[in-house]
Amino acid sequence: MGRLFSSIHLLLVIASLVSAREIARADDAAPKTRGSSTSPSFPEAVRPLLESKCFRCHGGSTIKAELDLSTLHGMKKGGESGPVIVPGDPGQSLLYEKIHKGEMPPGKNDRLDVTEVDIIKRWIESGAKTGPESEEASQVAINQHDVLPILLRHCTYCHGPRQKEGNLDLTTRAGMLRGGKSGPALVPGSPDQSLMIKRMRLGQMPPPKLLVEGSVKPADAGETEILAKWIANGAPEAAIAPDVASTTPDPLVSDKDREFWAFKSPKPVSLPVVSARNRVRNPIDSFILQKLEAKGLSLATEADRMILLRRAYFDLTGLPPEPAEIERFRNDIAPGAYERLIDRLLASPRYGERWGRYWLDLAGYADSEGKREQDLPRPQAWRYRDYVIKSLNSDKPYDRFLREQLAGDELADYEHAPEITEELADNLIATGFLRMAPDATWANITGYATDRLDVIADEIDILGSAVMGLTMKCARCHSHKFDPIPHRDYYRLLAIFKGAYDEYDWLRPDVRQGLGPISLDIRGGRLLPQVTSAERHTWEANEERITREASTIRAKLESKQNVLIAKYLEKRLGDLPAVLRDDLKAMLATPAEKRDAIQKYLATKFEKELRIDRTALKAIDAAFKQESDQADAKLTALEAKRQEAPKIQALWDRGAPSPTYIYKRGDLNTPGRLVGPGVPSMLTDGKTPFDVKPPWPGAKSTGRRLAFANWITRPDHPLTARVAVNRLWQHHFGKGIVKSTGNFGKAGIPPTHPELLDWLAQEFVKGGWKSKAIHRLIMTSATYRQSSSVTAEQTKLDTDNALYSRMPLVRLDAEALYDTLLLISGRLDDKQFGPADPVEVRSDGLVTPKGTRQGWRRMIYVRQSRKQIPTHLENFDYPQMNPNCIERRDSIVAPQALELMNAGMVHELGGQFAKRLEREAGKTRAAQIDRAYLIALSRLPSDEERQIGLEALDRLTKQWTQTLAASGKPDPGLAAEKSLATYCHAIMNSAGLLYID
Amino acid sequence: MAESTQVNRRSFFQRASTGLHGAALAYLLAGEARADASASPHLDLKPRSPHFEPKARSVIHLFMNGGPSQMDLFDPKPMLDRHHGESYVDKISGELEFVKDAGALMRSPYKFKQFGKCGAPVSEVMPHLAGVVDDLAFIRSMYTTNLTHEPAVYLIQSGKMGPGRPTLGAWVVYGLGSENQNLPAYVVLDDPKGMPVNGVENWEAGFLPPNFQGTRFRSTGSPILNLKDDANRPNEIVGMERDLLSRLDQIHKQARPRQPSLDARIASYGLAARMQLEATDALDISKESQETRDLYGIGREPTDSYGRRCLIARRLVERGVRFVQLYINAQIWDTHTSLSSDLKTACDRTDQPVAALLKDLKRRGLLDSTLVVWGGEFGRLPIAQLPPDKNEKRAGRDHNKNAFCTWMAGAGIKGGTTHGATDELGLNAVENRVSVADWHATILHLLGLHHEQLFIDLNGLKEKLTGVNGARIVKEILS
Repeated sequence: MGRLFSSIHLLLVIASLVSAREIARADDAAPKTRGSSTSPSFPEAVRPLLESKCFRCHGGSTIKAELDLSTLHGMKKGGESGPVIVPGDPGQSLLYEKIHKGEMPPGKNDRLDVTEVDIIKRWIESGAKTGPESEEASQVAINQHDVLPILLRHCTYCHGPRQKEGNLDLTTRAGMLRGGKSGPALVPGSPDQSLMIKRMRLGQMPPPKLLVEGSVKPADAGETEILAKWIANGAPEAAIAPDVASTTPDPLVSDKDREFWAFKSPKPVSLPVVSARNRVRNPIDSFILQKLEAKGLSLATEADRMILLRRAYFDLTGLPPEPAEIERFRNDIAPGAYERLIDRLLASPRYGERWGRYWLDLAGYADSEGKREQDLPRPQAWRYRDYVIKSLNSDKPYDRFLREQLAGDELADYEHAPEITEELADNLIATGFLRMAPDATWANITGYATDRLDVIADEIDILGSAVMGLTMKCARCHSHKFDPIPHRDYYRLLAIFKGAYDEYDWLRPDVRQGLGPISLDIRGGRLLPQVTSAERHTWEANEERITREASTIRAKLESKQNVLIAKYLEKRLGDLPAVLRDDLKAMLATPAEKRDAIQKYLATKFEKELRIDRTALKAIDAAFKQESDQADAKLTALEAKRQEAPKIQALWDRGAPSPTYIYKRGDLNTPGRLVGPGVPSMLTDGKTPFDVKPPWPGAKSTGRRLAFANWITRPDHPLTARVAVNRLWQHHFGKGIVKSTGNFGKAGIPPTHPELLDWLAQEFVKGGWKSKAIHRLIMTSATYRQSSSVTAEQTKLDTDNALYSRMPLVRLDAEALYDTLLLISGRLDDKQFGPADPVEVRSDGLVTPKGTRQGWRRMIYVRQSRKQIPTHLENFDYPQMNPNCIERRDSIVAPQALELMNAGMVHELGGQFAKRLEREAGKTRAAQIDRAYLIALSRLPSDEERQIGLEALDRLTKQWTQTLAASGKPDPGLAAEKSLATYCHAIMNSAGLLYID
Repeated sequence: MAESTQVNRRSFFQRASTGLHGAALAYLLAGEARADASASPHLDLKPRSPHFEPKARSVIHLFMNGGPSQMDLFDPKPMLDRHHGESYVDKISGELEFVKDAGALMRSPYKFKQFGKCGAPVSEVMPHLAGVVDDLAFIRSMYTTNLTHEPAVYLIQSGKMGPGRPTLGAWVVYGLGSENQNLPAYVVLDDPKGMPVNGVENWEAGFLPPNFQGTRFRSTGSPILNLKDDANRPNEIVGMERDLLSRLDQIHKQARPRQPSLDARIASYGLAARMQLEATDALDISKESQETRDLYGIGREPTDSYGRRCLIARRLVERGVRFVQLYINAQIWDTHTSLSSDLKTACDRTDQPVAALLKDLKRRGLLDSTLVVWGGEFGRLPIAQLPPDKNEKRAGRDHNKNAFCTWMAGAGIKGGTTHGATDELGLNAVENRVSVADWHATILHLLGLHHEQLFIDLNGLKEKLTGVNGARIVKEILS
């Protein structure tokens, strides 16, 4: 056998030599024909070519784009874009296409010449052989990592470590050998004897009728045959370690790649020297003035202090100052009044409601799952919203804030804690951040592994854009086109989340009844019971109280009932012959199965008449009926007070995740290399392993996300602090120092003031990651205190205000506008927190928040179901959270005008505003107008404005009087009221209310 | 300049209140609208030149949400008659949503006949459409990638199987703007009986600016949300409030020179007022002749509702609206049960109005510049889907992502064409397969837009309707 083999080998070698010679001849003379037998020799012609032109990036140690051209196995497997060679068909072979078009190699001088391209072409045409078949065969030997993905895709949903259907676990070779109820699944060397292959070939496995239920696709014949081949080879296992960062320098990301400013830690910056030193209130101004002065500009004059008051109020609380607060500030003329104002506002509970909303946009907060028509509600999502508001109000350090959201479940052992403290509960609630993506995997038909990967991809997208300032999602299907993020790094990141987000071990959203075809999955949902012990006790106490009260009511009724029944029984017995009475009583007291023959006989004759139950009693005793009905009503009312057990929508590591493979083109049907957890190499030195250990001794959790959270909150992290302070800046100045706030990469927009950004980022970290300190710094700068007026010179020299030569004029966002309309009309209910307020949907599709007698709460407390967004939000650029929103638009469109002019709610609030004016300013028109300006615009009207108001009110009153008279119901009081309401409505529509100077 | 604009606006209000509508008014106001539209280029609704000479100026998309059954409408399958009752389910178990209800192969309950010069077969449940087949180009070989409504609807509307992307109509008006500045460029006529699957996401602008999203016109009552004053105040009062507001805003603006957004905001109030007038007029079908209304089946059941929407669609394209999209409530084409009666009901509601729309556009010369597109999000399976009681008389068909049939008519379309084919059972599109991206590219092409050149830069990526995998224009159906 061996000899035969080697002689074939020899023949082949000779053949290839011959053909090599033929090529040379063919090149010299005859025109080449397609599919000619002149195959270039791989070792002599092709390999050297590849070695000199391609291996630098795609061979052996460096495998850019996941492509290794140094082995046939590597070529056949291909890279991120799939196989690069289709033997026999150069037209379909990516390798040929790339070199033919001159797209590869990338350097101009490295390109292949025409003859060289032709060698590759003919080599592919003739079948792309590399040498003797035995060699090829050994190169493409199948190992466990070729079959495991197949088993994960089709089998382990039932036969995995958790479910073990039929006591079978197919995730390891040992498990297959051990087998299940029907015996071993695997007989090495004999696919035909292996139960798993037999069942699959017969189409019994995976069971066709259960496929949809388990969201599993059927296996195709090719997949079964790969399994069979592996078994035929003896089911070999190769010792392959997952690809993770090591002490060897990363071959895919170079130090040059790490040179880009955003991938390097901020370095200390020295403050620039400026000429207008008198304008410098703090270092921010030096950085800003430096650039302005270079253009011959300076800071604009300081804004009027009442304008500053309004600006600061909206910036920090999203609401205008109330008249009393205006008065307080007006009267505080001592030095430091403005600084004291900022401190008061930062301490306001409204601060978290304003700034929490920005974070919720980044997280993609929603009260429903989206994607499907049912738009499954997330009834516990509000806890996360409250967590964000409270965290911001307490000025929780940003690094802690991130650690809780990224790995709260791994910060402390919540399962074995004797008591769930607020901190423990918050840790879990915080992980709701990673549960915000739209998700339809609760239904089996939209719950396939690919659908799950989409959810994970959305979460990575949220994480990348919100926290890291990176467009990570590009690397899902291939290496990032602009940033040095190899395909590999995306999957390393995926491996970090795998303990909690495993497409092959999935927890579905919790489904409640009546919501379409649901999965029969028994693995449980995404809610944890670990609310604070205090909340749990309150809930339990409430449940117990209800149970107790209910049983008291029942017992009372029961005893009454028993007395009455005894009474009526005596009466009925009294109507029967006396001799029978004792026997009848004995019969009634004996359970049916223990009665003797006589008793049974008596029962057939008399039991029906003598057995009085509650229904019968109610029929004969009206008083009892009334009492019983009352008791029932009380019980119903009591039961209605029961609450669902409090739970937390969370993400937690479940330990022992499935392996992570690179998915070529993002497709799980084309798995590539095995990778382990890691962070983007460009943000590290490329030669330090990523250190993962269990969060506490004996934890089942992998600790991967904790390691990630610790890494991302390192004080010297290149991006985290920069991205965070850039956002703080953005919401004060209307744009970030890096304008593309979600993309700090090479395709993003470079910072306008890089030194300022780095200085702020370092101040932030030095100050313990406290956001409020940065607000204070920004808002007390001369830059922030500038006027927003635009001069002709500024328009010319600083057209789009890139240099901050003035403050921008800012339109209120959807929430600030809505909340303001409520506040000024005196209808703002300032109750904080708790489950979201419902909305009303009118038949024409208009969605409005539902109010109560107390009015309406701030918009952040209104339910944000993806398919029932309040119309007001939609009109004013509230984004669809798909999956999140990095920056809202600031549109000016007709539907906004239509809403503010025509919507019933705005009319109602106009009326309420008018009533408030009458309450606070009495009946005098001029006083009403003054008050309206103070409340709505934080200032008094000019004489001209007051005059216009008086005239308008005069005309309106006349017209309303006339209109009311024409309708046959003249009413001077009502005419006055309506005209004031119309005036208020106009103020609510005015540009002065909508724009902040 | 500010003053003359003001005069224009005032005279507009005077004329408008005496009832001047139509082209003259549109012309009068178009200049104003152009002047005060938002500053950034390509982000407004001004008319823009296409990439090349277009065949179509407007599109009417008759979206048949639910998945109309190809083998019972336009793609007859004699093999189904022959193999009726034979089991087939094992061969397609991965392609079913409701495996437990799967029955045997099922023939169509309807008869087919060939019509027109082209001889295209049409089922007996569409007698009116049968009369205009020579204007239609059928694509029998469409396929999609998911067999569930939501993802499939997302795909056909926006090119991707999830929410958050601009829809076809949004891309079109992003590319071309609109001919009429007093009406939205992209109008949606949804069914007053209820929203389609995915609701308002069907006409969202995704990452394009929000002014490119579809605007819902209700075919009865107030056509746009908040178009009517909820408080029902007398016109005089509304006029006075507008006047007051405009004076206050002028003062505000004059104190803040060089702030373009303040001008834009004032303009948006003007447009809102004009929309209130012109939208109301466009929807007023009482101005149509009795003959026309009869043609569409208006005033009669079951055609009244869809007939109204078809007629309004014509009135809108007549006024230069770029993209009109019609919907039907819920899922009337989603015939999981009782195919033999339910599919007929769906046809009875739509057949006459659709045929009338084509005839009416043609006789007014509008069909030369209007592309009419008909189709759903996927097709249906050749096997029966049985109700819980397994009564075959009430059998329907389950979803099929691998084959469905659509048609186009009008501007640039070679009438009487049939493109592509399914296999002998109608299970898979096999010949000249047309992807959703191909279908999108073809519609864009007819409008003079190249699908690779119509993009928006997003984080360094050129986002396109047709995605990264390329698309082929279905040239075979073009005239």
